[in-house]
Amino acid sequence: MHNTEAKERVSAQLHYELSQHYYQEATLLQNAEFGAWIDTFVAKDLHYWMPVTERRYAKDKRPAPTPYDMAIYNDNYDEMKDRVARLLTGAVWMEDPRSTVRYLITNVEAFHTDNDDEFVVQSNFAVYRHRGQLEHSEHVGCRQDLIRKVGNGFQLARRKVSLDARVTEDKNLYIFF
Amino acid sequence: MIDMDKLVDTKASTQSKQVFWDQDVYDQEIKNIFGRSWLFLTHESLLDKEGDFITTKMVEDSVIVTRHTDGSLKAFINACSHRGNSVCTADSGNTKSFVCNYHGWVFGTDGALVDVPLREKCYHDELDRASLGLKTIRVESYRGFVFGCFDETAPSLEDFLGDWGWYLDTWMVGAGEGVELVGPPMKSILKCNWKVPTENFVGDGYHVGWTHASALNVLGGELGGLAGNQADMPFDELGIQVTTRHGHGFGVIDNAATAIHANKGGYVKFMEETTPKVAEKLGEPRAKLYNGHWNCSTFPNCSFLYGTNIFKVWHPRGPHEIEVWSWVIVHKDMSDSTKRDIVKEAVRSFGTAGTLESDDGDNMVQSTHTNAGPHSREGVMNSSMGQGYEGEHPDYPGIVGSSFIGETSYRGFYRFYQEMMSADSWDDIRANDENWADCFPNKDYWKDRLAARSAQAEEK
Repeated sequence: MHNTEAKERVSAQLHYELSQHYYQEATLLQNAEFGAWIDTFVAKDLHYWMPVTERRYAKDKRPAPTPYDMAIYNDNYDEMKDRVARLLTGAVWMEDPRSTVRYLITNVEAFHTDNDDEFVVQSNFAVYRHRGQLEHSEHVGCRQDLIRKVGNGFQLARRKVSLDARVTEDKNLYIFF
Repeated sequence: MIDMDKLVDTKASTQSKQVFWDQDVYDQEIKNIFGRSWLFLTHESLLDKEGDFITTKMVEDSVIVTRHTDGSLKAFINACSHRGNSVCTADSGNTKSFVCNYHGWVFGTDGALVDVPLREKCYHDELDRASLGLKTIRVESYRGFVFGCFDETAPSLEDFLGDWGWYLDTWMVGAGEGVELVGPPMKSILKCNWKVPTENFVGDGYHVGWTHASALNVLGGELGGLAGNQADMPFDELGIQVTTRHGHGFGVIDNAATAIHANKGGYVKFMEETTPKVAEKLGEPRAKLYNGHWNCSTFPNCSFLYGTNIFKVWHPRGPHEIEVWSWVIVHKDMSDSTKRDIVKEAVRSFGTAGTLESDDGDNMVQSTHTNAGPHSREGVMNSSMGQGYEGEHPDYPGIVGSSFIGETSYRGFYRFYQEMMSADSWDDIRANDENWADCFPNKDYWKDRLAARSAQAEEK
């Protein structure tokens, strides 16, 4: 599901367009425009995945987690849409007053695939969340995406989010990465 | 000196706010409660083969649990007997031994010291290896759920669970081959006192409609009606709450086991197929519970939702912070696809990014940290809902409350909490075995209520 082979690197022009797409996506999420995000930036065949990765010894030959294993996120499009709907009910008490969430998206590396309109894109992120007076948390990790060219823009078809921390230092993770 | 009668008042159904904040209260909890209780470690399904190990915590002690070469389960403190360094830094794996990174001491999967570098040349072969094993911890299993205990005088795990085991058997042995836990656990930090989530899971059906209004609105179905407490529901006929001798307890919503699951086809079919077997094996009262949704805490810090099937341990990290570990319960003889659906839905609702879990965490943090203010910390918290509407029930052991929205099992949790905090030893606790339920004085509650109910039925 997440193992589309990455071929040669994309051109500077395409890299620029994909980077701009990521900045726009971050802006939507920062502004809590979740409805616009899911409607325009996300493909209907989405798989959004954040596996739980154990600390294991180098000699441990057990396979890496798959989408059939324990995961913090393991959602299809409709399930993500339900998460968005929950955030937009007006009944998420802890989001009123709203948190501020800031996205720094870097180290974007983009590759062609066997499909002309699909690209494998890796990026690093630092996500900062502030709430109330002093409450704050930060999450660092990387994303491996399958991004599809649709019309003049792009849509997210697969996203594997890998958090660097084994223990999440936050009360919850309902924010999107 | 902590005044235990002020800390918990079982007559008034109150607890001092100090229970969520004070360092001296926490220190006594570590000694009297966590030092004496059976604490959840792991499930046998995660220690399948000889040499399998997991690392976990008993409060702030790092602990290794292994399947030893003779097939038995062992648990020991993860600290080298030489200079105290950790001997294992992985979450899980399979090994013949644990080698300390510091000086290379080697320990077997039973914790015994098996090798020491330069033993002959520099220790002159005089090191007493037999006395230098890793510190072992008492370990026992109940239906595959593995617990550890620091206290040699504590009752067996089975006796510690007591009547709670009778309830657990409903789904642990009721259907087929029993259950297993799916890991590896999700782990997160919550800045709250460990008792806030424990009391919430043991008996807080009350918060569901309000705290989780957003998620219930989106979820719809059987539970959607609870959103915002709008619906006119006959709560006294929809479920019960239970507390037992050692503070373990739960609330059950009848016929709601699978309610939280979106793709519930496989789960519903499994329940339909297995319910007659549960009734045959364990009787109708438990077959009824089998189909309910349970919110539960096993004293002191292990909570779960049967039905939703999330399973949690709250590891204390001082009075104001916990580490939350979450697994998922599945029945062993469910199909792989049903197991996967259940894991997915349990995590979507009560995992680290769960839509319902997200609502709870903030309440738990705030309920703890308001107590930083000395004036906020004065006085007591109230847990009197349904007081007097509870008692001994002809079908169900322990003390049974009239509704799943009530605070019977809160009261039962803090009753035993006070008892353990006050006791000098397990002998002191055992001395109360006959009169522990005296603080629930309405002895005829269920007799009267069931008589009134059958009289009503006859009239109709």
